[in-house]
Amino acid sequence: MNFQPPRPRNDDERILPLINVVFLLLIFFILAGRLTAADPFPVVPPSSATDGAVEADPVTVLVGTDGALALDGVPVEEDALLAGLRQRLEDAPGTPVRLKADGAAPATMIVRVMEKLREAGVERLRLLTVATRT
Amino acid sequence: MPASPPLFTPAVDGRRRRALISLTPLIDVVFILLIFFMLASSFLDWRSIELNASQRTVGGSSMRGALLVEVRQEGVRLAGRGLTPEALEAAVRQRLEEDPDMRVLVRPAEGVDLQQTVRVVDLLAAAGAGNMTLIRAPEGTR
Repeated sequence: MNFQPPRPRNDDERILPLINVVFLLLIFFILAGRLTAADPFPVVPPSSATDGAVEADPVTVLVGTDGALALDGVPVEEDALLAGLRQRLEDAPGTPVRLKADGAAPATMIVRVMEKLREAGVERLRLLTVATRT
Repeated sequence: MPASPPLFTPAVDGRRRRALISLTPLIDVVFILLIFFMLASSFLDWRSIELNASQRTVGGSSMRGALLVEVRQEGVRLAGRGLTPEALEAAVRQRLEEDPDMRVLVRPAEGVDLQQTVRVVDLLAAAGAGNMTLIRAPEGTR
């Protein structure tokens, strides 16, 4: 019996399996990955075991390890951040705010940022984490 | 007038004619798309923890009727007593059974990073706490 596959006749047929694999990889990355805008400075979120849902909140505040702040991906100073937040909350009161803070940042610094957010009128906020790898 | 060759020629008589569009540029484009999606997509599994925004405590009024959990580098303290994580979860669960809406205040000490605090907040959430607030010690006191 002859189990040898027939020899491909030309170049096109020779690379068809390669194209198949590449297409499959492409479709996997399109479906499984999520396109997100890059952060202006690296933020490694803390890992947690809670399974709170992540909703697309309109306002995201970033806090870096060294206390750098950003509002919706734009690096800002503290005064500009609070002014921007007040403006948003005046336009739409009760807007939920996401806080994306670095897991290695000192917790007291995060709490200080939270106090400032409270002064700007934020009542509830969501602290973003990533799922713990099990 | 000669007939223009079809764009993709089907196999005729078991033989393949040469296609007008060769496969090489297609592969180039697909490779570039593949590399773009590999680099641009993120596979992080995002979660979120609902918290009350911290309020600078003025006096002891807002502390009354709330559980105070201190996070220190050497361990966790509930109402001034050091506890293991399991004991903390059990104690908080018991208190929450008596009053499900009780506020839980989490106070990280100086030098504790957010990851440690989140771990404790996780424990409290597992124990059923829904009304959690991160606070810090008033300035000038340790």
